[in-house]
Amino acid sequence: MAAETADTPQHPPQDGIAAILKDAGIAALISLALALPLFGFRIVGFGSGRGLALEERWDWVVTAVLAVFAGRIALNLWLRRFRAVLAIGGRVGDGVGDKIGQAVAAAPRLGRILQAAKPAFRIAVAGALLAVALAWPAFPFVDRYLLDLGVIVLTYVMLGWGLNIVVGLAGLLDLGYVAFYAVGAYSYALLALHFDLGFWECLPLAGAFAAFFGIVLGFPVLRLRGDYLAIVTLGFGEIIRIILINWYPVTNGPNGISGIPRPSFFGLPFAADPPEGTVAFHQFFGLEYASTQRIAFLYYVILALALVTNLFTLRIRRLPVGRAWEALREDEIACRSLGINPRNTKLTAFAIGAMFAGFGGSFFATRQGFISPESFSFIESAIILAIVVLGGMGSQLGVVLAAVLLIGVTEFFRELEQFRMLAFGAGMVAIMVWRPRGLLAHRDPTIRLHARGEKA
Amino acid sequence: MPAPDRPLLTVEHLTMRFGGLVAVHDVSFTAAGRRITAIIGPNGAGKTTVFNCITGFYSPTVGRIVLHGGRGDFLLERMEGYLIAQKARVARTFQNIRLFPRMSVLENLLVAQHNALMRASGMSVLGLLGAAGFRHAEREAVDHARYWLDRTALADVADIDAGTLPYGAQRRLEIARAMCTRPALLCLDEPAAGLNHAESRDLNHLLRFIRDEHEIGVLLIEHDMSVVMEISDHVVVLDYGRKIAEGSPEAVRHSPDVIRAYLGEEEGEALPPEVTADLKGEGGAGAAHERGPAETQ
Amino acid sequence: MEYFLQQLINGVTLGAIYGLIAIGYTMVYGIIGMINFAHGEIFMIGAFISFIAFLLLGALGITFVPLALLLVLLLAMVFTSVYGWTVERLAYRPLRGSFRLAPLISAIGMSIFLQNYVQVLQGARVKPLQPVVTGGFQMFKGDGFAVSFSYLQIVIILVTVVLMASFSLLIGRTALGRAQRACEQDRVMTALLGIDVDRTISTTFVMGAALAAVAGLMFMLYYGVIDFYIGFLAGIKAFTAAVLGGIGSLPGAMLGGLLIGLIETFWSAYFSIEYKDVAAYSILVLVLIFRPTGLLGKPEIEKV
Repeated sequence: MAAETADTPQHPPQDGIAAILKDAGIAALISLALALPLFGFRIVGFGSGRGLALEERWDWVVTAVLAVFAGRIALNLWLRRFRAVLAIGGRVGDGVGDKIGQAVAAAPRLGRILQAAKPAFRIAVAGALLAVALAWPAFPFVDRYLLDLGVIVLTYVMLGWGLNIVVGLAGLLDLGYVAFYAVGAYSYALLALHFDLGFWECLPLAGAFAAFFGIVLGFPVLRLRGDYLAIVTLGFGEIIRIILINWYPVTNGPNGISGIPRPSFFGLPFAADPPEGTVAFHQFFGLEYASTQRIAFLYYVILALALVTNLFTLRIRRLPVGRAWEALREDEIACRSLGINPRNTKLTAFAIGAMFAGFGGSFFATRQGFISPESFSFIESAIILAIVVLGGMGSQLGVVLAAVLLIGVTEFFRELEQFRMLAFGAGMVAIMVWRPRGLLAHRDPTIRLHARGEKA
Repeated sequence: MPAPDRPLLTVEHLTMRFGGLVAVHDVSFTAAGRRITAIIGPNGAGKTTVFNCITGFYSPTVGRIVLHGGRGDFLLERMEGYLIAQKARVARTFQNIRLFPRMSVLENLLVAQHNALMRASGMSVLGLLGAAGFRHAEREAVDHARYWLDRTALADVADIDAGTLPYGAQRRLEIARAMCTRPALLCLDEPAAGLNHAESRDLNHLLRFIRDEHEIGVLLIEHDMSVVMEISDHVVVLDYGRKIAEGSPEAVRHSPDVIRAYLGEEEGEALPPEVTADLKGEGGAGAAHERGPAETQ
Repeated sequence: MEYFLQQLINGVTLGAIYGLIAIGYTMVYGIIGMINFAHGEIFMIGAFISFIAFLLLGALGITFVPLALLLVLLLAMVFTSVYGWTVERLAYRPLRGSFRLAPLISAIGMSIFLQNYVQVLQGARVKPLQPVVTGGFQMFKGDGFAVSFSYLQIVIILVTVVLMASFSLLIGRTALGRAQRACEQDRVMTALLGIDVDRTISTTFVMGAALAAVAGLMFMLYYGVIDFYIGFLAGIKAFTAAVLGGIGSLPGAMLGGLLIGLIETFWSAYFSIEYKDVAAYSILVLVLIFRPTGLLGKPEIEKV
């Protein structure tokens, strides 16, 4: 990026103080235009009978403009120093976006370290994460809240791994992944309520239903190019949600389905007072009843589901079909010239991804005990996609890091509910600008001719 | 295996129209097995369009394309693109190289053996279970890949990403990948484009080797007349979408029509504007570009 | 018959609004080949800025409706344009030349950001506005059912027609339009010819945002309520309109907008209002499957 910015006579070197001030002044002016209408005035006073009024907030405007001005100067000064250190030429004053991009990309970061590191190191990191995950409910500081958080993070990890098959490996941008999650959740809820099936019987059925939906929806649309496919899948996601809202006889509409059976520990329910004739989990094992037992059990269920997803992906990547997915992501035309059937190959990726979403959906239903269409909006798809992309498309470890980062960090904003998604959106943009290929863009070959390190 | 002079590929009355533009008009020719057939012609003559019709990327407006394979004849114009590669065993390379850049060289060659490996993996089920049969098949596939890596001098770089290879090596890899599909007919779209003299010479060796040792037919589009004259057994000359000459390199070289249409004033080794066009990677649609944008846009 | 005619008028009005947003999608897609997912949010911001401008003018005592409308229109176009420009600058320009999905994902992030940005700044509650333009014509009073063509509808349709005509001229006849069309064909070559491609792209975003602002104003006047969430659905429908008309084609966007507006109105009127959004999505899916180039789009020959 920096290499191409040889200064031409028309663009004198702009690193004088005057130039920096001018640049910051322009940025401040733009931010003034941005802030004036929406920061400066707030629409207030509904229902007072006298209509609406505006509340002026000049202090906000001034703060915002000053912040941009100061930030811009600081950024430029920092860049100048940074540039002096690295002795690279860079045209200062060329926009906030690539400035941030340049600056941050050059700074050492976790992803970079992991990327440069030997596979042994990545395996060690993965092993450590797995150990922490396995021991999580046993840590003394893990209370009910942290255990719940663990379940949520693992759910997203599992969904991220499932979507990684579709997006990361096969390169199919799916913005409607949550639809299959919804199919899984409703399948479990309806099967459990109407046919009295248990969680473990429903799980494969829900997965199969979701995969079937994946095939039905995928069949006509999978030949579309990347961004068109993205929009069509978004459309499907929304259609399914609208159907869930309006199909009262089956889905009970926006009120959702409640009273979904909780999972039992191989037939032993988690209950303080089990119904007559049944033995509860704590009684069977001679434990004191605690509500965290059920949550810990759920935690291990989702951990197992996630690990199964991961294991499956790791294995299938080394099979012909996995390589064909990646080849399709790289160049579909070349694939056709090699006799690979693009449609079927994409369809398998789509269906398998959907299946894992279906598993995740049934887990969600049994964990919540209640589902409604509200849980399956576009934003969920966006979060899962963000995890995959942020992690580095195709990277399994990247998905874990991204899920912990995104869910964990936004959880810190929990008190400020409305700032949470604000930070989320801004983070998504920043990460794309900073590392368009994600945190861990590195990819190891699935098969080697020469052993690693051996010089051929 | 077809005898040397029995046709392997028969193209009859091939016509391809894009809207009002006729890119290829009533072209017929044959390509024999165990022979190298070159299609030459000025830029925009419709060469790549012919290729794209043979390999199923376009379906011709009129015409018949038959591949006389070991297991019967295939009517290529009626087959879907990927089936032409899968069943009729026609492999191809591209003018602007199309590798899988973020996969290793070896992986590129294994993807080329996808269908065989897919069967061996029991549509992935046996493979997921780690069946011995699949492991064996995969070893064989690696051996096959190794064979072509050795032939194309790529064994040393087998484990690095294909996208990081130098240009000449990428061209070789594309040929190796096409050969890994075990084709009956190999179609090469300007394999020598962008190669230096030494690389071009090595390419000639490789193509002769493929013809003589593997006894398959090679069909190539080429601008580099030294390559065409040196290695082809049979030359088809196109101009403005029509066939204007056909015969041995020697005969074609002296045909007045060809000299007028293509070789131009002198011997005309390579025509600068064409070379630039090649580097920009204009393919079959390039044929449309040259004739005037008014007709196509 | 009267009912049909009424729905026709309503549909055309709605279609005009969708068409204005769709132009933004189609121009951006034409020039840099990306779906500007945040464009719906720009429309929403346009609606908010119009709302604030109205209240401000009211507070300043400018109550002569045509003058107020004109001022609001200008203010909204100017300030929303700055948003359009900034979004391109921050979220898309650094990603030019990056891998193809990066700008789309950045755009989704930007969309989420802008939605919540407005929610934080202006609150989540629905903002109702007193009707500004009232009255209208009554036509063919049938048996108990009158077809009304309100002044507001006339204003919306007129403004849309005027704007669309002038933008078509701008793109068809001016150097700027020529530069835009050149960028669509070959960005590298355009840059080599000495045209500032970045500036041309920025201008495209500014134009798209200005039209979205007008659409936002119209939407606010027509429905009388806005909230921070209106951009998502309107954006999807306008995008559908752009695809239906043939993405990259300006007349296509107008035609597509009109069709989507009509389909949605008639679907709600004759079938079911609950599934009116499904109708829009289904059309999107069907068009993309059966005619990805849209009604007026150019066919794309696959280059091999």
